[in-house]
Amino acid sequence: MPEPWPDNVTRTMSAYLNTRVSLYAGRLWNDAALDALISVADEAVTDTLNRGGLPQLAAGYSPKSGQQQDARSLEQRLIAQILDETRVMIRPLTGPARTFLTFWTARFEISNVKTLLRSKLSDERPAAALARLIPMGAFGRLDNQDLAHAEDVGELLRRLEAGPYAGIVRHARRAFEQSRDPFTLDAALDRGYYEGLTLHAQPLENTVGTPFRSLMANLIDRINLVWLLRYRFNYKLPPAQVYYLLVGSHYSLPGTRLQELAALDSVEAVLAALPAAWQVKVSGVTDIPGVFARMEQAAAEQALRVLRSGAPDIARAFAYLILRERDLRAIRAVLRGRHLGLAEADIRTALQREPAGVM
Amino acid sequence: MLRAEPLLRIELLMLASEAQDAALTLARFGAFNPAPCTLKTLKESPAVAYREAWLEAEARLSKLLEQCGDTVPLNIPADAEAPALADLEELNAWLKEAWGRCLACHENEAQIVDALKHLDALEETLAKLERLNVDLAHLLRADSLLAVSIGSLPAESVKRVTEALAMTCHLVSRFDRIGEQVFAVIAGPRARQDEVHGLLAQAGWRELPVPDELRTHPQAARTWMEAERTRLNTQSGAACRIMDGLRDQFAPRLHEARLRLALARPLAEAALAGVRGKGGLAALSGWVPRRQMDELRHTLDAHFHGRYGLEVREPAADETARVPSLVRYPGWLAPFVPLVKGYGIPRYGEFDPALPFAFTYLLLFGAMFGDIGHGAVILLLAAVLHRRLGRMAWIGIAAGAVSMLFGLLYGSIFGYEDILSPLWLSPLHDPIRVLILAVGFGVGFIVFTLLVNARNKFVAGQVGEALFDSTGLAGLVFYLGAVGSVVSLAGAAELAEPAAWMAGLGIVTIAAFKWVEARAGLGERILVTAIETLETGINLFSNTLSFMRVAAFSLNHVALALAIFTLANGLDTAGHWLTIVLGNIVIIVLEGGIVAIQALRLMYYEGFSRFFSGDGTEFVPLRLSPQAARV
Repeated sequence: MPEPWPDNVTRTMSAYLNTRVSLYAGRLWNDAALDALISVADEAVTDTLNRGGLPQLAAGYSPKSGQQQDARSLEQRLIAQILDETRVMIRPLTGPARTFLTFWTARFEISNVKTLLRSKLSDERPAAALARLIPMGAFGRLDNQDLAHAEDVGELLRRLEAGPYAGIVRHARRAFEQSRDPFTLDAALDRGYYEGLTLHAQPLENTVGTPFRSLMANLIDRINLVWLLRYRFNYKLPPAQVYYLLVGSHYSLPGTRLQELAALDSVEAVLAALPAAWQVKVSGVTDIPGVFARMEQAAAEQALRVLRSGAPDIARAFAYLILRERDLRAIRAVLRGRHLGLAEADIRTALQREPAGVM
Repeated sequence: MLRAEPLLRIELLMLASEAQDAALTLARFGAFNPAPCTLKTLKESPAVAYREAWLEAEARLSKLLEQCGDTVPLNIPADAEAPALADLEELNAWLKEAWGRCLACHENEAQIVDALKHLDALEETLAKLERLNVDLAHLLRADSLLAVSIGSLPAESVKRVTEALAMTCHLVSRFDRIGEQVFAVIAGPRARQDEVHGLLAQAGWRELPVPDELRTHPQAARTWMEAERTRLNTQSGAACRIMDGLRDQFAPRLHEARLRLALARPLAEAALAGVRGKGGLAALSGWVPRRQMDELRHTLDAHFHGRYGLEVREPAADETARVPSLVRYPGWLAPFVPLVKGYGIPRYGEFDPALPFAFTYLLLFGAMFGDIGHGAVILLLAAVLHRRLGRMAWIGIAAGAVSMLFGLLYGSIFGYEDILSPLWLSPLHDPIRVLILAVGFGVGFIVFTLLVNARNKFVAGQVGEALFDSTGLAGLVFYLGAVGSVVSLAGAAELAEPAAWMAGLGIVTIAAFKWVEARAGLGERILVTAIETLETGINLFSNTLSFMRVAAFSLNHVALALAIFTLANGLDTAGHWLTIVLGNIVIIVLEGGIVAIQALRLMYYEGFSRFFSGDGTEFVPLRLSPQAARV
């Protein structure tokens, strides 16, 4: 990790990051632009993506099904875009801020770990798994070639345990050894990652304060609520296990509240037992995807407020990354919809995106 | 030696079934650098499956070798053939099976170690429970309303598990901690046991099996544990014997596998660049030195007796940047090559700076660190350590020798300036002359770099840049004019008028070129042209002055010695000589290091950055073994 800068350099670096975030903020997609992408003619998609600051996506776009100019998948190109922007933003950062944003990108690598684990569970050949991995570039910490050539899940987990994600993987391995259930692997990895993220966020919450904390609170609370609903009512897990699988939180939904919610026996009862401010956010929604969309919407609005405010640079940078990722997910949905030849109305419905008031 | 060897692009067409032998032949030939195929009609990738199988087999082989070892040197017979895909798949399947057996053995060993640890924990647990006077038989009764289990879980999970279990009326009572494992008793209503199974599995809870014997008689418990320990140790010994047996069983075939995978390597490596094909046809593409083309044809004829097609062409103008660079260096120059490559690889067709680098680097080092004694120490140290330093020792020997030569010219030995009279000049007594010489050398060096850059641009087809840019001939005209003007101003020559004309002509040409090149609006164009033209002058001026450091360091060397003598002269005899010795060591280590870096810096930033893009690709031929993958 780089040494902390001296004061004058810190001020310069802060100005750099703030300017960079402000410039990047201009790249966020408003709903009109997204709507235009749904209805624009095939030939004009590349231009629209280029104008929206997404040359990586434009380079790989092909209007015809089954054709793709860029060898990387749409998902890989989207993440490459996010990683590129994150790389630019962490340049002036040192200390906890740099560590936090670097760890923020690690979830893509955890996703690679899951892909590798699944490939071992299904006895897939290494080359096929390697082709699906997200290229992490400068953020990559794993030797994917070596991992992909592990013989089975056990060997893969042991190799991972000797690497940078040992803390997350150790837990997952133990859980998997007890149950041999792929679900336990995924759940343990996800939980381990977000527990790590809250730990990395802690020093910044203390120094940067409310703007950063509000972003983290929105993220972790949303994840906890959606996981709780999914584990409890889709997977029918017992309340105690559901509670255990959630991320330890000190935000709006602390442990005691999560315990109470996990003990309830219907989605409606859980939603009705949420704090009053949350009930407003999810009013009229009865299904889990709906809850996710509303919560994400609320998080996006909060991120936009932070981005537009005079909040400290790391909070604005994090807010930008949250919004950018949401945009890219929406763009992915549109491009996939177009590729599959879905009707415009169906793509709009699938987006479940309400105006966040961007731009 | 001053530029890369001319290469030819080849497309070798052969039967797909012979692709592995063709790659092997090219690897034995030793001067074929694979490159992506450009034949548009060949859309298939026939070697992908081969590479995939090879990678898998290679990964398994390396793991097996780690376990079983095979240190016998690998001799590849000259007539050995590469395995076909089916053979490779078969070998891969055998390696998979062999590794599977090793892995199972390993897992077994790990489980035994784990079980022994648990047994230790159980022993400690029982000792503690005995002290607590707990009736285990009663506590662990299967028909009790209270379900109790003893076990361990990761320390960081304890809090969360305790909170979660509280939701099902279960209690967690910790009673020990060993490393990261916390040992605990979990108790709760038996009716709700189903609710906690998933949670405990998720949390990595490991129950300690407590046999019936342990629940009743302590003595029986001890006996049972002893028996269990003996059983596990026996199992462990058996596992070791199985492993030894596997080693003996696998060893001969592992050696054969090494050989076959080494023979398969060339096609697998070539497939990375891209072997294309269609139907029963495959094509290997790449670069070969022009002077070895006939040799290649003979080799292919000898192996394939006409069952191949070979298309040969010159590199196209638009692919120069992708052509690899093959430069053969004489042995005495080779040690300097890593220092040049530390900056970058010369592009194909670019001037290779290794030779001028070697001379100039040594010259600058000697000029900045001229001392017979210090040079001799460096020379001797490098000679003594040549086994450890390898080729780099020659740089030390040469630098030491040049330092001694300049020491002779300066009349300096271990800092003493009065033992030998200088053959040329003493920097301390004639500093202005030294400064002028250093700047003069800098002017010569910069002129050389501008000429080389103009040549490189010309060869690359960038005639505009070669003639009119600030680092091309226009820059050279401006620079020579500016230098002439300064020399005239200093009264050293009568060149003021022609020099001013030259400088004016040069800078106007540069400005015009910048204006044409800037693709922007009027305001931005004016700004870009003005700034870049101004930057040309400032850069050349500052780069020239940069060479004053050569004089500064030669003065610094003497000044440091003087400071040490001043300190030493204030001490008694023992202190005097101790200070002289220590002082000279400091000079050699500290100043020697700084001067070595400064000379490198002058080369990189005042030299290479002007004419050397450094973004070329090294010529890496197919070889039988990765260690030998260099020409």
